[in-house]
Amino acid sequence: MLPLFAAMAVLLVFFQIWVPNGQFLNPENLIDVAQQISVNAMLAFGMTLVILIGGIDLSVGAVVALTGTVAAASLPHGGAAAGICAALAVALLIGAVNGLCAARTRMPPFIITLAMMLVARGAALRFNEGRPLPIPTSETFFLALGNTRVGGWLPVPVLLMAGAFVFTGVLLHRTRFGQHLYAIGGNREAARFTGIHLARHEVMVYVLCAALASLAGMIHASQLYSAEPSSGQGFELNAIAAVVVGGTSFTGGIGTMPGTLIGAVIIGILDKGLNQAGVHFSLQYIIKGLVILAAVYLDVRRRK
Amino acid sequence: MSFSPAGPPLLALAGITKRFGGTVALDGAEFDLRRGEVHALVGENGAGKSTLIKILGGIHRPDAGEVLVGGEPVEIRDVADADRLGIRLIHQELSLAPNLTVAENIFLGREPTRFGLLNRRRLFAEAEKLRDELHLPEIGDVRTLAGDLSVAQQQLVEIARALSVQARILILDEPTAALSEAETAALFAKLRRLRDQGVGIIYISHRLEEIRRVADRVTVFRDGRRIGTQEVSKFDLRELIRWMVGRELKERYPRPPCRPGNVVLHVEHLCAPGVNDVSFELRAGEVLGFAGLVGAGRTELARTLFGITPATSGALEIAGREVTVRSPADARAAGIALVPEDRKRAGLVMTGSVGFNLALPWTRQWIRGPFPNAARRAGIVNRALSAFAIKTAGSEQCISALSGGNQQKVVFGKWMEQPPRILILDEPTRGVDVGAREEMFNLIHRLVGQGMAVILISSDLPEVMNLSHRLAVYRDGHIVREARADAITPEEVMAELTRN
Repeated sequence: MLPLFAAMAVLLVFFQIWVPNGQFLNPENLIDVAQQISVNAMLAFGMTLVILIGGIDLSVGAVVALTGTVAAASLPHGGAAAGICAALAVALLIGAVNGLCAARTRMPPFIITLAMMLVARGAALRFNEGRPLPIPTSETFFLALGNTRVGGWLPVPVLLMAGAFVFTGVLLHRTRFGQHLYAIGGNREAARFTGIHLARHEVMVYVLCAALASLAGMIHASQLYSAEPSSGQGFELNAIAAVVVGGTSFTGGIGTMPGTLIGAVIIGILDKGLNQAGVHFSLQYIIKGLVILAAVYLDVRRRK
Repeated sequence: MSFSPAGPPLLALAGITKRFGGTVALDGAEFDLRRGEVHALVGENGAGKSTLIKILGGIHRPDAGEVLVGGEPVEIRDVADADRLGIRLIHQELSLAPNLTVAENIFLGREPTRFGLLNRRRLFAEAEKLRDELHLPEIGDVRTLAGDLSVAQQQLVEIARALSVQARILILDEPTAALSEAETAALFAKLRRLRDQGVGIIYISHRLEEIRRVADRVTVFRDGRRIGTQEVSKFDLRELIRWMVGRELKERYPRPPCRPGNVVLHVEHLCAPGVNDVSFELRAGEVLGFAGLVGAGRTELARTLFGITPATSGALEIAGREVTVRSPADARAAGIALVPEDRKRAGLVMTGSVGFNLALPWTRQWIRGPFPNAARRAGIVNRALSAFAIKTAGSEQCISALSGGNQQKVVFGKWMEQPPRILILDEPTRGVDVGAREEMFNLIHRLVGQGMAVILISSDLPEVMNLSHRLAVYRDGHIVREARADAITPEEVMAELTRN
């Protein structure tokens, strides 16, 4: 964990010096960073659980788009409550299918969730023939999810991200469920020989991951004042990047939720800092790619 | 043998030293090997045997010392150098690619080609020829995927691979760990034949009986040094064991005192894949040994009793009450625990710490909702650590840093917070050294003394015969004979096992 904090600190100081007028460490700017990473962090928390048990979930980006669209489409039929329930129901279904396929068949999670990604994306595009669904300004509660600032300074998405962090962190690090996930990721057979129900845990993990993606999807739609069926493309890869930068082993069994949070923060700082430093967007991609490579290389070397 | 001991030895090592970080694995080690001999190398885990053979195989390079092959000093920088010198190493861990066929594995890296393309027909033909020349019919069809073979068959494929090129020096690291008695005998016959052709064989084993059967000389290593060398013709077991552990063992396999209590397990007409109508009774304070060849279906029986492959028919009665075991969770609830055959694959979470593994079955006891109780966890872990004398730098040390014997004690220890009524041990001493074996035996004594009922599965015939009170001779998923262990001879058991 210490090297991650150090990397984060180095980046903060670096951008403070690089960004014109030394405006990077300004509190308003940092809150901005937090707001911008909230969607990615929420996806990354769910992804951490999945990767920890040796799986992967490529469908979360498409689930963001689908659940946002479903929520927006349900708003006229019962308001925010209907929207949220409909989005969660869809997430539950997708997570359960992912989880059941992964647990009960020998299909690899990469393929299952790749297929689910296509299905969910297609389903999102069916709504309104792929056109965005605007969220009426009368939906104040739903719009508050992405835009209101509690006490005038703390954005609701950051609050929800914090809530998701505490929930998944406690779940992973303080419950039997979490302990069993480490066992399953470290050695499926040994976990089975200890009497742990693999299928139950696996389905639960994919459901949680999809549920967090639906929360992210609603926030995303709320922030845009509109549900975009083609949004969320590549979100899954950004989430995976945060997870691995945060020190979770891609083969499973090793990783922490605070690590993932810092991984998401590091990627968020990079995005914001490079932008404010005026780096061309093409170069931003290259730099981000190299940073991820370096972070994972150092992590692998440290564990050897 | 017909090869005179005069002239330079085939292989000589002098003053070999190798350090890994702070630990000295080899400390000025000496060793020599003649043409046409089987030279056994024994010693407890950590004695330096593995490092020594890895230096010969080109995997490690010594920090100091000299290696002479046929009297000439040589440098073995990598595996290719070892190959050129005719040194073939068969590792203890199987190194076959499970997704390739037997033939492809045997000729990996030396596949016959035709116009630059893989010549499969010749590949299979040559593999079959080799299999027949080496008299290894047990390997079966060379077109089978290696991953579909039993552990014993895979071991034989490894041996075939090593012998598929001319070897001057053959090194085998515990080759019989997964082999049954008959397969072991077949392997020994092959080794003798190679020896008579002038090959020098270094044979590493924990099983002293084997060494007596196959070796010409035996060298004991301890703490990275050679302690002594014996001619096997003047075999002195006591001296050998004293060299190895620095103390004398009273009895090789003492049987626990028998005070059987009530019947705790009653199995009737149990059937499952690989289990063919098995019925037996087990009493508290009793060890019931299952003697059988590899592939007889003993592991399948253990897995069925533990609920991993649920029974298709038959009845299980525990302490007079009928129970249904459809999952390991059911088995645990019924008071059954299993120490599985392959501790790295099925017994332990190798990414976790010692404490993680010991506390894993008892999460219900030390985690309530979102409140893990560190003190309660420490209690569970420390009780197991002290009750089983597990040697570790601390409860949070990674399990992979422990020796095989200590890892095995963790697999035992993780069940003992609430001791099970019935403990199933599947090959509990595989890959552990002499000292740890003795500890394992003492452990079994203690548990049996406390009234636990033990099912012992072992391919080591002396071990299973001497530790058990009763013996079930097991063949083709079926108990073919049951007897008090002191009322049947090893020869009778062998005869039952090998009958067609």
